[in-house]
Amino acid sequence: MNWTSMILKGIVAALFAILGPIGAAHANKADDTLVVALQRGILSVDYHYTTKREYIILSELTDDGLFYIHPDTLKPVPLAAKSFNWVDDVTLDVDIRPGIKFHDGSALTADDVVYTYKWTLNPKSQTNRGKQYAEWLQGIEKKGPMSVRFKLKYTYPLALTTLGRGIPLRKKGAFDADVAAGRIPNGQTLNGIGPYRLVKLDPGKSTIVERFEGYYKDSPKGRPAIKRIEMREIPDWGTQQAELISGGVQWMYDVPTDVATNMGESGQATYLNGPDMRIGFLILDAAGYTEKGGPLTKLQVRRAINHAINRESIVKNIVKGGAQVVHTACHPNQFGCVQNVMKYPYDPAKAKALLAEAGYPDGFPLEIWVYREKEAAEAILADLNKAGIKAKMRFVQLTSLDKARKEHQIAAYFGTWGSGGLADVEGMSNHFLPTTDRNMSGDTRVAEYMIGGQKFRDEAKRLELYTKGVQLIAEQAYWVPLYAFTVNYLTSKDLDFPVPKDGLPLLFQAKWK
Amino acid sequence: MLRYALKRLVLALLVALSVSVATFALLSFATDPARAIAGEDADPLVIEQIRERYGLDRPLPVQYGAWIGGLVRGDLGESYHWKRPVSELIATHAPVTIKLALMSIFVTIVIALPLGIIAALRPNTLIDRAALSTAVAAQAIPSFWLGLIFIILFAVKLRLFPVSGDGTTWHFVLPCIVLGASSVPAVMRLTRTGLLEVLGSDYIRTARSKGFRGLRLLLRHALRNAMLPVVSVLAIQLGHKLGGSVIVESVFAINGLGRLALQSILGGDIPTLQMLVFVFALTFVLLTLLSDLLNGWLDPRLRLG
Repeated sequence: MNWTSMILKGIVAALFAILGPIGAAHANKADDTLVVALQRGILSVDYHYTTKREYIILSELTDDGLFYIHPDTLKPVPLAAKSFNWVDDVTLDVDIRPGIKFHDGSALTADDVVYTYKWTLNPKSQTNRGKQYAEWLQGIEKKGPMSVRFKLKYTYPLALTTLGRGIPLRKKGAFDADVAAGRIPNGQTLNGIGPYRLVKLDPGKSTIVERFEGYYKDSPKGRPAIKRIEMREIPDWGTQQAELISGGVQWMYDVPTDVATNMGESGQATYLNGPDMRIGFLILDAAGYTEKGGPLTKLQVRRAINHAINRESIVKNIVKGGAQVVHTACHPNQFGCVQNVMKYPYDPAKAKALLAEAGYPDGFPLEIWVYREKEAAEAILADLNKAGIKAKMRFVQLTSLDKARKEHQIAAYFGTWGSGGLADVEGMSNHFLPTTDRNMSGDTRVAEYMIGGQKFRDEAKRLELYTKGVQLIAEQAYWVPLYAFTVNYLTSKDLDFPVPKDGLPLLFQAKWK
Repeated sequence: MLRYALKRLVLALLVALSVSVATFALLSFATDPARAIAGEDADPLVIEQIRERYGLDRPLPVQYGAWIGGLVRGDLGESYHWKRPVSELIATHAPVTIKLALMSIFVTIVIALPLGIIAALRPNTLIDRAALSTAVAAQAIPSFWLGLIFIILFAVKLRLFPVSGDGTTWHFVLPCIVLGASSVPAVMRLTRTGLLEVLGSDYIRTARSKGFRGLRLLLRHALRNAMLPVVSVLAIQLGHKLGGSVIVESVFAINGLGRLALQSILGGDIPTLQMLVFVFALTFVLLTLLSDLLNGWLDPRLRLG
């Protein structure tokens, strides 16, 4: 043995003595653990008190509600509910599926369902969605040991869908300790009924869930194939890629298109992309809030703007991936989002002609407020300037945009909306309420049709109203619909992950190849 | 000296308080915490619910008053995002950042001091030029880039270290080298300049004439005086690392104070950010005080002054 080798070995041995072993081998297929990387970590595990996408992903694993949005049809189907019956337009009876257990082994009963909903509706509980549900839900009462009755304030066609998302069931008394202590629950522990149970929460670092062996066999979600899932917070895309290549993680979500395509082409990972309910659009101040009788109040001008923008080029060269051009003020996959609307193909000459017709042959200045999608917005500005409109961008934080819009200081803005993954035009309703500052049409018919559709359970009637509304917005060019986003995923080669149709990943469907 | 230290302590508190007012005002005007907590697509009713829950619908002076009142009572408030006491958050994140900062400052000292000394002992030679070039290059390389290059080379290709995380001390090796490297140029150049100046001074000439040579001359006479500005810079660099390792902590997914600060900024978590800024400001001032005291210890003339 030579001296150099001895010294090197000595140094390594000393390092091990000081630092300890390098660390456990990566969790992966070999130990049936799927490690997923998230840009934002999990801080709290109770979906009653969280909102963002990563929490929905977790909640789909650990929680079940009464209903479930089926990934194939995007329609609600009974989950913890066995069956349901509309007694009348505002009374819904639900029978609970027998044999469902909480993660602590106790059985789910009507008492638990009543407790969960009463807790949600109680203003003191401060749940995130309490106010939202209280808008249409009057209350809940126990009908029998395994059946409950919901009373609605008015006819609400999306009651089942909404009951399927957002209200995970909790054991009766789950929040009693918090009430006694006078605090808002902080969601550091969880006793749900979902296909996975919480094993460890290390807030902001890692959350580990394990397959719940007591999960009911007839669940529409099915039995998960993978035993354990770890959700790790890794904020940097470069680090996430390095972990994926080295086997430290097996799934990346909502990856920027250039990163996803590069990794996919390199053969080091599988690149998947699927639709998202999010659409991008410009909303124009047709009502003239910012300038009474200004250019945007003229139909020809709004149509000119629609014709001036080359959406196909933006999608192909900037947004890329699976993004697609949209022509409606809603996502084409949403119920009620009819596509037989007036379309505005890219035609700068026509745009110029329309501007001249409206009395603006030399264009006019236009400030567009933008809070994301800067590259696409720059392309839009270039197109508008080509058509003669002296457009400039005001790039701000979303909060500033919200504030300025509320004060009617915005003539046009670049908005995006994900509808919470809801496959129904109802998901876009925030933009059409007569009272919202997002509705800059100044046209009462917009709310009449687009909000009116929420008041009937009859699908034909709803479709009729939505059709009128969607066609009206296109015909009057109140919006400049741009494109539907895409969600990119990167997975390890040995993972089989079904791409969701609504952009909400269901990790319990993942399995090893 | 005690009076001086107390005066500096009071000054530190005043600085921290002023910074907290500025932070609170800037954050409150620039962002809507309720919106940041709820997310981009949140229903207005959800945002309203969150605003009520955290008292964000109260006037700003009332909100600030409540925060400062809590601080006086020893209640640092609760994080909007983590739904845990801020004191607990800082207590759990601080050890990680302290470990990273101390390890990286160690890296800085181990690299920068020998390089600076060698460069000073051999001025205008190839060694000196090489050391200076290294310093310039290190200064020009952004931490996030160096971090990713290290990850690709040492974690992905050579598999010598973990890619990210902070589970074991091994996880800290790459980030502390990256973080430490960023301070090498300043410390190295200051060591070189200081030592060159000292080596040309009268008392060193006298020492040489008395027969002092080599390491004895360097360590006992020259280096001690040359170290005065270096100590100050090291204290400031340590302050930077304790409060400003946001990028390195993000690249290596290290759950320290820097990342907590970034999460708080992005999420509009005012109570956490307020306290972090307060702590960072205090740390800076206290480290500056410590460097003054160290300089006094190194140079008796300063003590007398």
